[in-house]
Amino acid sequence: MAATTPKLVVERASRAFDDAPALAPTSLAVAAGEFVSLVGPSGCGKSTLFNVVSGLLAPDAGRVLIDGADATGRPGSVGYMLQKDLLAPWRTVLGNIVLGAALTRGVTAADRAEAAALAVRHGLGGYLDHYPHALSGGMRQRVALLRTLATGRDLLLLDEPFGALDAQTRLGMQRWLLEVRAQTGSTVLFITHDVDEAIFLSDRILVMGPRPGAIVDELAVDLPRPRTLAMATAPAAVEAKRRILATLHGEAAT
Amino acid sequence: MSRSTSRAILIPLASVALVFLAWALIIRLFAVDSFVAPSPLEALGAVREDWGVLWPLALRTLEETVYGFAAGAALGFVLAVLMSQARLVRDLVYPVLVGSQAVPIIAIAAPLVILLGFGILPKIVIVAWIVFFPVAVSVLDGLARVDGDLLALARAMGGSRWRVFRVIRLPATVGPLFSGLKIGATYAVTGAVIGELVASTGGSLAGYQRQANSSLDTAAVWGSTLLMTAIGIGWFLLVVGAERLATPWRTRSTRRRLGFGASRRTTTDPGDAP
Ligand SMILES: Nc1ncnc2c1ncn2[C@@H]1O[C@H](COP(=O)(O)OP(=O)(O)OP(=O)(O)O)[C@@H](O)[C@H]1O
Ligand SMILES: [Mg+2]
Repeated sequence: MAATTPKLVVERASRAFDDAPALAPTSLAVAAGEFVSLVGPSGCGKSTLFNVVSGLLAPDAGRVLIDGADATGRPGSVGYMLQKDLLAPWRTVLGNIVLGAALTRGVTAADRAEAAALAVRHGLGGYLDHYPHALSGGMRQRVALLRTLATGRDLLLLDEPFGALDAQTRLGMQRWLLEVRAQTGSTVLFITHDVDEAIFLSDRILVMGPRPGAIVDELAVDLPRPRTLAMATAPAAVEAKRRILATLHGEAAT
Repeated sequence: MSRSTSRAILIPLASVALVFLAWALIIRLFAVDSFVAPSPLEALGAVREDWGVLWPLALRTLEETVYGFAAGAALGFVLAVLMSQARLVRDLVYPVLVGSQAVPIIAIAAPLVILLGFGILPKIVIVAWIVFFPVAVSVLDGLARVDGDLLALARAMGGSRWRVFRVIRLPATVGPLFSGLKIGATYAVTGAVIGELVASTGGSLAGYQRQANSSLDTAAVWGSTLLMTAIGIGWFLLVVGAERLATPWRTRSTRRRLGFGASRRTTTDPGDAP
């Protein structure tokens, strides 16, 4: 039944680099519309897992299913975004948002109109003709996310997208992301080093162990939506944070 | 004219004026005889006097420069792209590239003239020979410097090899291409003049200069040198102008929109509403 097919299934995917395992056999499932965060120590294989899911990297073993169909090692079916905005400096904001179309079939007038509408809807309407160098870091990340959305893929892999932003900007971006997602209903798999960020954004959090990483803990974030900043001190948030820190650092956090 | 534009024009003009002033002072200070070396006014005067003869010659030199430049730039660009596509091609071509520049251009000019005749062809080849190298090296470098993460992202978005090349790698070479073109621009005129010198049959700037030299007309010798230099500078400035047009993101914060297109967009754009 289509309604119960998970958006993404990873079945015992593993990957080694030069015979050194980087990702231990990992399985996970993400339901359509779900927001799942991945936390874990640096170098544990989070980005490697993303590269496998995106199809950029073939796993040594295991499978990736998107909407129930095998997508192992086949790029082009997810939206991908990194800490670096990776905007093309020679393209305007609008030109960057339609990059996906330019890369797959050529940009049409309809693509442009749609991209402009998307930008207007999400607060970038006044910047369509700006070149990326004229934007702040936060703005550039917004453009990068809209570019990801404009590809029309409803599974988004966001690899520390706000990792390079200052705390203030990051907070604004987190709320903006939740707003955007509430409108698009996208499924999100999100990597972060910031436990508070993971709790604020996610429905579910997966904790990975050190390299070669595997998922060692999984918890649901039992907070209502829409999320507010005040929820950071709710008992469910505090307990989730304690448990994640304990798993990550092998001790009870105070 | 905006302040920055007038600065961009006035300051270089002032530096040219300073060079002429220093030249004039040296002539005056050391009381150099005008048949040994002319003052700048004498040199410029010689150009003006012979303008009717010099102008067509200058046009011809410019023609050689432009054709050779275009051929060299195209060759360098295509070589760089081919080299970036396959390691084998790069390893095969690179030594030839470097070797070509180790050949003294003066030494190769005479054989080229014998091979290609006394027309415009050997001059074009010599200019291209000089220009293709900085272009090839800069573009190759630019292609190698494209962010690997951006290329990975482009593939993750579903871009085919050809599309990724056209949409990401190719535009990324525009900046480096112009770096190479600017280096080539100033040398290009030198190449054309070398070709003219070797194939001297009169009817060229270099031929004119040689004739002036043998008749001890130093003002005309220096004057024609000034003319050659001016062609080089003019060509360089044209390339810089083309660069500004081709890489607007380097100097502007927004894309230039022409007239009605802009107003049509902003009226349908609530994001711009005050
Ligand atoms: N292409 C590669 N070749 C060799 N080793 C690699 C490659 N990519 C990743 N690795 C190694 O695999 C391990 C996991 O890398 P990965 O980038 O997945 O970690 P990560 O969990 O994303 O870390 P971080 O939180 O610092 O981003 C690291 O030790 C890394 O050095
Ligand atoms: Mg990573």
